[in-house]
Amino acid sequence: MVDKQGEGARGQPATSAWSVPQGRRTDEWSLCVVRMAEHRDRAAFAKFFAHFAPLIKAFALSGSSLSAAHADELVQEVMLKVWQKAAGFNPEKAAASTWVYTIARNCRTDMFRRLQKFDTQLEAEDVGFELEGHEPTSALHAERGAQRVRELMNHLPQDQAQILAKVYMEGKSHSETAAELGLPLGTVKSRVRLAIQKLQVFMAAGSEE
Amino acid sequence: MVKHHPDSNMLAEYSANSLPAAQSVCVSTHLDHCTLCQQKLAQLESIGGVMLEDTAPVSVDPQVFEDVLLRLDEVPDDRAANDANASTLSWTVKQVRQGNLDKLQWKKVSRSLRIADLGRIDGATEFSLYHISEGGRIPQHNHSGTEMTLVLQGGFSDESGAYHAGDFIVREAGDVHAPAALPGGDCICLAVLEAPLRFTHWHHRWLSPLLQLRAG
Repeated sequence: MVDKQGEGARGQPATSAWSVPQGRRTDEWSLCVVRMAEHRDRAAFAKFFAHFAPLIKAFALSGSSLSAAHADELVQEVMLKVWQKAAGFNPEKAAASTWVYTIARNCRTDMFRRLQKFDTQLEAEDVGFELEGHEPTSALHAERGAQRVRELMNHLPQDQAQILAKVYMEGKSHSETAAELGLPLGTVKSRVRLAIQKLQVFMAAGSEE
Repeated sequence: MVKHHPDSNMLAEYSANSLPAAQSVCVSTHLDHCTLCQQKLAQLESIGGVMLEDTAPVSVDPQVFEDVLLRLDEVPDDRAANDANASTLSWTVKQVRQGNLDKLQWKKVSRSLRIADLGRIDGATEFSLYHISEGGRIPQHNHSGTEMTLVLQGGFSDESGAYHAGDFIVREAGDVHAPAALPGGDCICLAVLEAPLRFTHWHHRWLSPLLQLRAG
């Protein structure tokens, strides 16, 4: 049961208009994507939109570098990509929320590049890496991995959680994070490493880390 | 077997798209060859997924949903199918990642060294491929900035060890080294420099302007 411990501490108040059955919540979202892929199911899309669009908008506005209009544009682009890329989603390799995160992250990067008029015509996907199509994921059990990360996240010390929010939600580099928080770069780096350790992120990868 | 990997800070930055573009090319090309880092990346991205789901939602104007519905039947433009993109940076990056290195423009710098300048890319002073012939070496140099190297073919050795295809190496400013191709074949590396390298011996100084392809 992927319930949100701490009763929506950072939770969704009224978004759950449809009833969430006993099952695992994120599975429900994975199912939506599969239905979009297999049946071009617009009802599944609408349901997915109602849940994720407000989260994507929050993501767009984190770090407050985009205007509300651009944030809406980003929501639109991300949701359109969700519809278009649904067939490439593999629920065994990533939780639906992780998959949406990677799409939102790439769309935001491309939007920044457009808005800042970078002189290079490079898109986030050119330098991205998609697990789909690459075989050896071992038994990653994406869903359980995300579930464990979620549980452990609640126990992260505030200073580490704050840094992860800068990195993942605001898309800040370590040095930008250091500058904004008035911390030495080394402190930011070690907090990120500590957080990654606490989240046991690399246990599944069987690494030496 | 790949022995040298990007560290967890760099992978975390990569997983959140906060690494500069040239460095991202190095990391993504390493990922193409390293299943261990692929798994780590998947896990790091799940942090982003969890944070996204746990964030406080911001209400979206119903009009946005209506607008998206109207666009669902759009055919996505397939940039990959568009050959007019040849020679753009996006095309170049694809050739590097797919190993089509002959398609790039190489310049002969010395008897044993050729360089392909990959173009201007935000933040990087130099973004290029080095081709060291078997037995050849790059003159000793130090860096005034961070140098990131990914071995694409063959291998090289320097003062701190030997590196092979897939290995990902970061040298900090101030490190001095003189990489030499390992026996057994030519060595090709992808290199990103934050600042131009400086040759440490006076008789090699003339080389610097040739290597500083992006300067000025």
